[in-house]
Amino acid sequence: MADPIFEPLRFRSLTVKNRLLRSNISGRFDDYDGSGTQTRINWELKFARGGVGAIVSSWCGVDRRGFIVPNYASIDSDDRMPFWRELGERVHEHDCKYVLQLAHGGRQRDIQGIQFARGLSSTDKADPLHGFEAERATPAQLHAISRAFADGARRAREARLDGVEIHGANGYIFTQFLSSAINDRDDEYGGPLENRARFLLETIRAIRAEVGDDFHLQVKLSATEYANAFLPWLGRGNTIEDSVRVAGWIEEAGADAIHVSSGSTFPHPVNPAGDMPLQEAIGVYDTLLSSGIHTFRNYALYRTPLVGRLMAKRWSRPAGSVEGANLADSRRIKQAVSIPVLCTGGFQTASVIRAALGRGDCDAVTIARPLVANNDLPRMFADGLDRAPRPCTFCNKCLFNVLENPLGCYDERRYDSREQMVAQILSVYDPPPFTAGRPPAKRAKGAVTR
Amino acid sequence: MSSADPIFTPLEFRKLTLKNRVLRSSLAGRFNNYDGTGTQIHVNWDLKFARGGVGAIISSNAPVHPRGIIVPNYAHIDSDETVPFWRALVDQVHEHDCAYIIQLAFSGRQRDIGGIVYEQGWSATDAPEPIHGLACEKMTRADIDEVVGCFAAGARRAREAGADGIEIHGCNGYLITQFLSSAINDRDDDYGGSLENRARFAREIVRAIRTEVGDDFHLQFKISAVEYNDELFPWQAPGNTLAESIQVCRWLEEDGVDGFHVSSGASFPHPRNPAGEFPVEDTVRGYDTMISSGSHTWRNYLIFRTWPLNKLFKRRWEQAAKGRVEGINLADCRGIKQAVSVPVVCTGGFQTASIVRSAIERGDCDGVTIGRPLIANNDLVRLWAEGHDRPPNPCKYTNKCLINQVENPLGCYELSRFRSHDEMVREIMSVFDPPAFPDGGTAVDEAVAAERRG
Repeated sequence: MADPIFEPLRFRSLTVKNRLLRSNISGRFDDYDGSGTQTRINWELKFARGGVGAIVSSWCGVDRRGFIVPNYASIDSDDRMPFWRELGERVHEHDCKYVLQLAHGGRQRDIQGIQFARGLSSTDKADPLHGFEAERATPAQLHAISRAFADGARRAREARLDGVEIHGANGYIFTQFLSSAINDRDDEYGGPLENRARFLLETIRAIRAEVGDDFHLQVKLSATEYANAFLPWLGRGNTIEDSVRVAGWIEEAGADAIHVSSGSTFPHPVNPAGDMPLQEAIGVYDTLLSSGIHTFRNYALYRTPLVGRLMAKRWSRPAGSVEGANLADSRRIKQAVSIPVLCTGGFQTASVIRAALGRGDCDAVTIARPLVANNDLPRMFADGLDRAPRPCTFCNKCLFNVLENPLGCYDERRYDSREQMVAQILSVYDPPPFTAGRPPAKRAKGAVTR
Repeated sequence: MSSADPIFTPLEFRKLTLKNRVLRSSLAGRFNNYDGTGTQIHVNWDLKFARGGVGAIISSNAPVHPRGIIVPNYAHIDSDETVPFWRALVDQVHEHDCAYIIQLAFSGRQRDIGGIVYEQGWSATDAPEPIHGLACEKMTRADIDEVVGCFAAGARRAREAGADGIEIHGCNGYLITQFLSSAINDRDDDYGGSLENRARFAREIVRAIRTEVGDDFHLQFKISAVEYNDELFPWQAPGNTLAESIQVCRWLEEDGVDGFHVSSGASFPHPRNPAGEFPVEDTVRGYDTMISSGSHTWRNYLIFRTWPLNKLFKRRWEQAAKGRVEGINLADCRGIKQAVSVPVVCTGGFQTASIVRSAIERGDCDGVTIGRPLIANNDLVRLWAEGHDRPPNPCKYTNKCLINQVENPLGCYELSRFRSHDEMVREIMSVFDPPAFPDGGTAVDEAVAAERRG
């Protein structure tokens, strides 16, 4: 009997060779202004070679004001297309599809960079955890952002990529509108769920109008927000019932698939679920001190012996509960729509994935951290392994290190030595931009004359 | 402007002639990959200055070993795989009739952000660096031999890349200073104690490089003429004097150095280098990243955030230069120039043609190297050639460039020099043009263009 994991997945305008997608993970591998680099290509090729059916790109900003951290490749101007085209071509050589994630951070900007002091949001309240300040977006600004998404989708199509994903989850700008715990507007974009969903639906329609009907478009959604998971005095945010309704509207508006995640912020105790690595947090959260009005307080608390440990404990989830934590929500959404549903959340066991597909919880899974740990996880499944010999421990050190260090697996217990770990992490820089065999062929037109 | 202007008279080193007396001093932005592989952005950055008319560019601080980084994302010269990058960079700089000198460096204990590869730096001592509390490990004899070999290999790579010469970074508190300095070096072996012993490491590096690359490759040495190690913390020892540095230069000349580059200070940054303002607000924004680097950094950050401690710190920092920035090292430079027979170039805030001209005419130096004022005005040399004594919009020595480069692209962050914040950001971001993947006119480009035309 055929393994359901390796059955092709047919979306309306896109077919993926198996049921394993790399979920979006970023890494500060690009230039500060959002221009892409050879290192980003090296990074993505690790997963294409490892056998996933499709890669959902890094968090890709459609507008400068919506960037969340400098050094992520963006799609905010036509000048970015040559890079994405090159990346897409290289990924396609491995029979792997490439879906560009179109994103806007809103107020949730970990490092705002030098260009815009405040992000645009549904509200003018700062985010409650870090205190990232916000400016309330006007309807005209919202139309411009929808337009930026449509332009991003057009560029993705012109770059010969296989589709786009609207990042509608995890606390970024669409969550800030969808969420009853965040959106405090009294215009047509706030109040009842229909109004809170308006911005997302307008954006889907703007993309469809721009790229037509036959370009794959999926939407990532936080099915349950758990907005009060860490700070209990907040509202709980949207429930699965809310999200089931939103999912129906998303399908009507023209999306080809829904990607199920959870949590009203990023990071959030339920996503990516697992440990809160206190030492790493102290090591890298310092970089965020100038980003928000609560960051100094948070950092001082992390450093305070007992308090830091209590915070970490409150945040952490047992590693055994991580894999498939979103499957129940995914099933609810899958029952409500007729388009494929993808589910994320710590997947790394073939039998768990197979059972989820068999039960109809989802049509495919998307994987981030376990693929950072084992780039070739799909090949291991194909070889008959149920789990990688050295699985991801959900320690979340990758997540924290990404602010200051190259993205990779920082769980030293998974390696024979620290040197081996560092070598594995730095392998993303091979090949470098300038190599002996390849003179700077992409020599820029304006480089000499300007 | 007469052709006899000393600024525009060629500067002749033994094996290298520059078209004028102005060199871009070493300036590093975090433009490269974390592992030290070079990028298009670094090429873009250096070309700004090549186009601006300087006679030579001294590269950013190029570590000769991964343990010798100051912060991640500077271009290294620590393996043969780095050569193609440097070659591409040098070739493009040469198109502007500009020479390129690669600065070979090793940070030692002064590693602002140590990165993930080596948890501690190497030093002459095992005492932490005093400002930030950066921990280090005292080098053994074998470690010293290894680093000497790394400098020689770096020089060979620079030569293979077609560079016009190399500069040994022997100043500003980095590893070679840590050996030279009487205030830092606490060894009791052949590399510590007397000046002769403290200079042994630097001399071995010079001789090893000469053995490796031969006699006909330009080699200059950057030295802190006076260390002023007690400038910020008066309870510390003062460090090397001018007389000691003169003696070191005499030895190094015997060993085969073709030129000296005079700076000052036993640390970087130091109140005298780069002299000028201590930008409190920018420091609070940029220093946070360094909190996890050292044992005093959290204390420092709290001081920088807290009034009036930050004002007191600022006053103390700014006192040293006493408002005198441009030419702050000229008197010391003159002392060294009189003691050696090879050319001597001097750094320190130069941006006024008449000051540079008279320094050369007086024999204080043979040329000047410029950092910050060239960030503010990439075309400073052209402005001088056109007859300006000073650029209309000069560098204000507020040191915001220096602080911002920890988290942001290197550039001029002095808002008062621009018409708007947007204009400032545009200028800073111009270093990313062209990107690594510009429009290439490939078959796919053609297809897309045809599709657009419909």
